Amino acid sequence: MQLKTPKSTLVQKLKRFLFMDLVKGMGLTLKYNVGALTDKDSVAGKGIYTEQYPKVRPDVAPRFHGAPRLNMDPETHDTLCIACNLCAIACPEDCIDVIPMDVEIIVAGKPRRKKVLDEFIFDTSRCMFCALCQEACPTSCLELTQDFELATYSRAGFVWNREMLEQGRETVKYTS
Amino acid sequence: MFWGKLIDRGAMLLFGPINVLNDLLLKAFSAETINYFVWPLIQIGLVVTLVAGWVAYATYLERKISAFMQARLGPMRVGPWGLLQPIADGIKLLAKEDFIPDKADRWIFFFAPYIAVASAFIVFSVIPFGPDWAVIADVNIGLLLVLAVSSVGVLALILAGWSSNSKYALLGGLRSSAQMVSYEVSMGLSLIGALMFARTLSLSGMVYAQGSDSIWYIVYQPAGFLIFLISGIAENNRAPFDLPEAESELVAGFHTEYSGMRWSLFFMAEYAAMVVVAAVATTVYLGGWYFPFVDRLEQSGNHNLYVIVSLLVFLIKASVLLYIYFWLRWTLPRFRYDQLMDIGWKWLIPSALINIVLTAIGVFLIQALNGWRGLQTIEALSQGLNLTAYGKIIMIVIGLISVFITGGLLSRINWRSRDFNLKTQRRNIRLVNVAKGKPAVEAVQQ
Amino acid sequence: MHQVEIATTQDTLLDSPEMVLNMGPQHPSTHGVLRVILKLDGETVMDLDCDIGYLHRGMEKIAENRMYTMIAPYWDRLDYIAAVSNGLVWVETVEQMMGLAVPIRAHYLRTILTELNRIASHLLWLATHALDIGAVTVLLWALREREEILKIFERQFGARLTCHAWRVGGMANDAYDDFGKDVRQFVNNFPKRLDEYETVLSENRIWLSRTVGIGVISAADAVAIGLSGPALRGSGVAWDIRKSRPYAAYGEMDFDIPVGENGDTYDRYLVRLEEMRQSRRIIGQALENLPDGPVNAKLPKVVKPPVGDYYHSIEGPKGEIGCYLVSDGSAQPWRVRVRPPSFVNLQALKQMCVGHLVADVVAIIGTLDIVLGEIDR
Repeated sequence: MQLKTPKSTLVQKLKRFLFMDLVKGMGLTLKYNVGALTDKDSVAGKGIYTEQYPKVRPDVAPRFHGAPRLNMDPETHDTLCIACNLCAIACPEDCIDVIPMDVEIIVAGKPRRKKVLDEFIFDTSRCMFCALCQEACPTSCLELTQDFELATYSRAGFVWNREMLEQGRETVKYTS
Repeated sequence: MFWGKLIDRGAMLLFGPINVLNDLLLKAFSAETINYFVWPLIQIGLVVTLVAGWVAYATYLERKISAFMQARLGPMRVGPWGLLQPIADGIKLLAKEDFIPDKADRWIFFFAPYIAVASAFIVFSVIPFGPDWAVIADVNIGLLLVLAVSSVGVLALILAGWSSNSKYALLGGLRSSAQMVSYEVSMGLSLIGALMFARTLSLSGMVYAQGSDSIWYIVYQPAGFLIFLISGIAENNRAPFDLPEAESELVAGFHTEYSGMRWSLFFMAEYAAMVVVAAVATTVYLGGWYFPFVDRLEQSGNHNLYVIVSLLVFLIKASVLLYIYFWLRWTLPRFRYDQLMDIGWKWLIPSALINIVLTAIGVFLIQALNGWRGLQTIEALSQGLNLTAYGKIIMIVIGLISVFITGGLLSRINWRSRDFNLKTQRRNIRLVNVAKGKPAVEAVQQ
Repeated sequence: MHQVEIATTQDTLLDSPEMVLNMGPQHPSTHGVLRVILKLDGETVMDLDCDIGYLHRGMEKIAENRMYTMIAPYWDRLDYIAAVSNGLVWVETVEQMMGLAVPIRAHYLRTILTELNRIASHLLWLATHALDIGAVTVLLWALREREEILKIFERQFGARLTCHAWRVGGMANDAYDDFGKDVRQFVNNFPKRLDEYETVLSENRIWLSRTVGIGVISAADAVAIGLSGPALRGSGVAWDIRKSRPYAAYGEMDFDIPVGENGDTYDRYLVRLEEMRQSRRIIGQALENLPDGPVNAKLPKVVKPPVGDYYHSIEGPKGEIGCYLVSDGSAQPWRVRVRPPSFVNLQALKQMCVGHLVADVVAIIGTLDIVLGEIDR
């Protein structure tokens, strides 16, 4: 089929004869090669863009949907969770299991039963980090942190219980 | 004066042990045995070490240079700046499982990598790294030997593809070998242009010819250099001619079924062949180890230092050509196989032939103009064709004109080629702006 | 799947029997798990068939068992390269079915972020297409630009790739503090980078010889098959849903749509490059005119669209992404059907490839810009 191409002028023909189209591209890579050694600006310039990961930790955004954490009240060190089960209902993947228990408290002299949190199971292997649970939590207890290094050595290691969720996990930080 | 004395002292220290060793050997063997057997063996050992090291670090340099071109860092973890990376790769490949596919032809599968490596390394015996003792064997048909031995490498590809007992390896091997054979023709033909000036097939002789004419033959033969370099790149199956090896097609071509050390032998053979083409191009077109003012070292009596400096000059020039290899690979897309064969047969071979004809006419003109109206063009004919300043200018002009004539003739020959022609094919697309909310379909063209 | 017929007898001694080659699901260039069965005569493609389904995850069935607001994170996984547009089509379908009025600031922010998403998708397309054809350096450069966009997404939404960007009724959070500064910095640096890609590729004779005249599809055929997006515009049909049925804030933006002429790979390449420039224009305008206000509407306690069905589509980076929603009045949809652009575009593969060489099949798959997540769902 007939492809439409524009007519070329003499200058264009000469440029094509002298391989200018290839030379242009090669000139740009040469600039990058030299720039990698000299230029520091990697976003707008030609510097190196690599972040050498284990040595340099990445800058994670504050809103990052990372590993979950159960927050505690800073003064009383009690959990903020009120066992309302809203996060488990909000989760599309059913990876949260909130197990409440009843405790006896005295309110205005009369014994009352209050529901508090007993155990909180969060399966990070099923989680898709959509943050619907974080949005559902009324007390800002369940929060997705900036921790993204969630690898474990076993499948069971992915299922986090309340203690792991409250204290977080220690990740090995390589310095070399 | 001070520097002269320092150089002399340094040379004595460096080369003292060599004289001592020579004296020791003379006690056991005859002088003839030493000069024709023992020292060449030592030279061979040095050259093989040098080339193997060069090849290994060429892989490292390729990774670093490609990384810098792509705004990243390359190997950084193994050793400072990743310098021990080739050693780590070698150890890894040695430790891999060595298997031969089930119905593969065992002996051919075993020997194919060795043939490839051997043919690539044998060539280094005639390449002049430097003047005196820096060339192992100065054979007087050196160029012919280079072309012949590097052709044996094609055999290794076919054997590897066939013996792997795999459809894809066979197809890849046949394609690669067809490509290599096609480009060998233009490689050989393009060298003839430079031969007309050097008047000798010996590679050392070519360097001496360029030295005595104080010129690099690339100045007389720009077209020949380009044709040789492009043919060499295609010969090595390197980008932009690497479709037989490209991953997007046949996995890895002829070496699909190879792993571990066998594969690394093919890899080394490929890089060694690259170094061969770079070294031959340096010798024939870039003046080899000759550099304008280096021979003053020889004249001031520091012979060995002169040899070492010339060796460094040669290595630097060949490294520049290797950089061009890497540069081309990481910038240009690759050709499709039929386009690749088109270029080899319809563009490079005719241009090499036209180059021979035009160079012959040029040399004839120079010799005819010699003595015409008192114009001296030729200085001497003993070590290659030496021209005077006038002769050089005329030759350079002839070289440039022949580039344009070659280009014109090629586009005439290939007037039907849709892909490679002088018409620029960059097109522009139109931009359509339609009022908001209105459907924007224009008439569907039939 | 129609059976690919192969000749089993030879008419003359010189006939070479046709060969069936399987570009299997595991292949470096099929952009996912696509299996292409080629019938070859030598190296020329005689017939072609695609076998899909290797990435089927049952998205539409999953959607039948989830509540409307919980489906949005799954929709990101359809076209995982441009997740923001997928999310947009879902929330807009639900909002329009419910008759919900989304605040104007949310519309503008949706426009900005969806156009950034379009640029990110086209950058990945360019990276992989150039890689398949051999120019590896462009891969790394385009991914660097894409990285900047993903950083903006991370700061705004919390995730780089599968963002869960939109909520029914608007957005979860307003633009973060440095949003304007980051987007403006990106918009200022971007044209220079696009020019760099053009320098290396657009006039390069090797690129031209690999893409001009390859994979041609005429405008009539394109409309007949149902192509959309750059594949359609490359053939000369000026159809863009952002212009013909504007959604979000596109009705107020001033931009052009690039239309090609010959319908070959090179035209589609130029169209996509130009689309990136026009996206940049849109982002600049939207950022200038960004109104103040809330970013989400008031929702009922449970999102329940009225009984009925509704189809809504938007112009995603790969074409028209549509969502057909059938609701039975309950909190979970009765049926959801996704109209994936890559699925429909893939129908054109056979027509584009027959008569070309095997090496061109890779280029043509690249130019159609398919992503298997959408095709298989």
